[in-house]
Amino acid sequence: MKNFNLHGVMQAPVTPLKDDFSFDVSGFEKMVDFHVRHGAPAIAWPHHKAESLNLTIAERKLGAEIAVKTVAGRVPVSIFAGTLSEEDSLDIARHAQKIGADMLLTISPYCRRPSQEEIFDSIVRIGTHTDLPVLTYNSPWRNGEGVEFTAELTKRLIDRLPNYIGMKDASFHSEKFLEISRVALKMRPGFSIIQGVEHLLAAYPLGACGSFSSSGAIAPNLCNKFYASLVARDWETARECQFKISRLWRLFKEQYPSSLKGAMIMMGRSVGPTRSPLPTATKERIEFLRKQLEELNILQTEPHGW
Amino acid sequence: MPTFRPGLVHTPVTPFKKDHSIDYDTYAKVLEFHIRNGAEALALPMPEGEDMSLTDPELRSLLKFAMEQVKGRVPVIAHVSDAGTSIAIERALYAQSLGVAAIVSHPPYFWHPKPSMVVEHLARIGNAVKLPFFIFNPPVESVGTTLSTEIVLELIEKLPNLAGVVDAGLDFVFMEEVMCNGRPLRPDLQLIAGADFMVSAGALGGSGVFSPLSSIAPRLVRELFELCRKGQFVEARAAQENIGALNHAIKAAGASGLRDGLTGLKTVLASMGRDCGVPRPPVRSAGEIERGHLLEAIAAMPFLKDEPRGW
Repeated sequence: MKNFNLHGVMQAPVTPLKDDFSFDVSGFEKMVDFHVRHGAPAIAWPHHKAESLNLTIAERKLGAEIAVKTVAGRVPVSIFAGTLSEEDSLDIARHAQKIGADMLLTISPYCRRPSQEEIFDSIVRIGTHTDLPVLTYNSPWRNGEGVEFTAELTKRLIDRLPNYIGMKDASFHSEKFLEISRVALKMRPGFSIIQGVEHLLAAYPLGACGSFSSSGAIAPNLCNKFYASLVARDWETARECQFKISRLWRLFKEQYPSSLKGAMIMMGRSVGPTRSPLPTATKERIEFLRKQLEELNILQTEPHGW
Repeated sequence: MPTFRPGLVHTPVTPFKKDHSIDYDTYAKVLEFHIRNGAEALALPMPEGEDMSLTDPELRSLLKFAMEQVKGRVPVIAHVSDAGTSIAIERALYAQSLGVAAIVSHPPYFWHPKPSMVVEHLARIGNAVKLPFFIFNPPVESVGTTLSTEIVLELIEKLPNLAGVVDAGLDFVFMEEVMCNGRPLRPDLQLIAGADFMVSAGALGGSGVFSPLSSIAPRLVRELFELCRKGQFVEARAAQENIGALNHAIKAAGASGLRDGLTGLKTVLASMGRDCGVPRPPVRSAGEIERGHLLEAIAAMPFLKDEPRGW
């Protein structure tokens, strides 16, 4: 198994679509290449930002192939295998290994409120089905919904799976994060805890190694500056970046990623509409975003076009 | 109003006798213990002080007793939270008349209030007093309602004396948003860690802590606090992990769905020679087996060996 030093703000490209909502192959190549050229330390696809659940399994395989081919070994590529059906996840896992992806990110199927035992079985099934390094996606929601990897479950999975190398963590909670980090990093030094989006400042000093990015689609320079300030322990700059990213997240989190795609188009990257049931950003919304991004000094300091 | 920055705030437990009445002789020792062991201020009675289980007259007499015992050596922050707005206001006015340094209050229990009700409730309490006012964001489990960024921003607009948010909700997004949206409205707005998780709050620009674990491990709490005060957040990780382990063991004990840690806290306190009785009903005290597990876990924490035993 290859060893990765995962770190930094890793980019999770959106899925460009044509006006008829079909997968835009050449747009996706440009998107992936854009991120690598702008300093992404890894590429991860297709996260929710990429409308993962609105893509067919065939489209997900196609996109995975394009991502691996376009990145061409410059940085590691992680393929997301979370689906509504575990059989599809296994299929995607097999395919990712075959085409030369570097690692797999997975979660037990959503929408079933799986118990801790069910999540354990699900991840062991996928993790023993592939030779690729595996990351899991910790996505607890309030009130006990969602799919939660508690510290205890993480510990059992590290014990069981030698290829379990890290976690995408979206708990965003001091106590939950610390429980996972203090247990996991002792058992498996180098275990990569990657924040779900860039709520990274609160977790970095406690052992988070980076994030899978939301705002990198429009502000890759800000993302790179943010991570560099963390490494330098320049907390003043880190706070400035974190707060700016936090304001961006507030702009984009509603009906994610509709607004984000709208803002990308405005910045000269034609990533097309968003698939239903998510709406596509309206002209008015895009104009509103333009003003906000100008006020945040994003328009003036971040790359336009591909 | 001059800015009141409370720093390292200890949150004492409330000791009870066998008949469940407040044990004031022991409470005097508790307060002295905290002052001697590094408290820069006291906040009482916080949830660890079982405020919800005390009657209104008891809450008043406890506060009065504390003020007389402390005699101005450190500032005392009075916690007044209640389901009813007028009850909380009356208690806040009483606390003010005793000379407390500040008031802290959280959203009203039980009613599952809409955000506008939370704003109304807290704005009326804050408006009633002439003291620095802190709003407490409880863990999501404990009172069924938490503060949102919008609630905090509205309260800043309504309350010139709103000094800060004491956050025990521990949500990164909330802390970030309070700081980046609240500070432009009130430049000296404080974010204070409402539990012993100081690194995350501190990295985001927070200062100070309301520390439940100061009853057990005041030295460790002080070490973590000093590292965070100096901005040494990466260096603070080891101390924060020790705090995390202690917190986990204590919260894991007890039968309450709130994971309030009350049983764990008092069980460990007794084992360290500071017997404060058991929590008031309906909170169950630990059975023999549970007590054994907890004390075994505590005994396996070498970092506790430097902590004070006895009073």
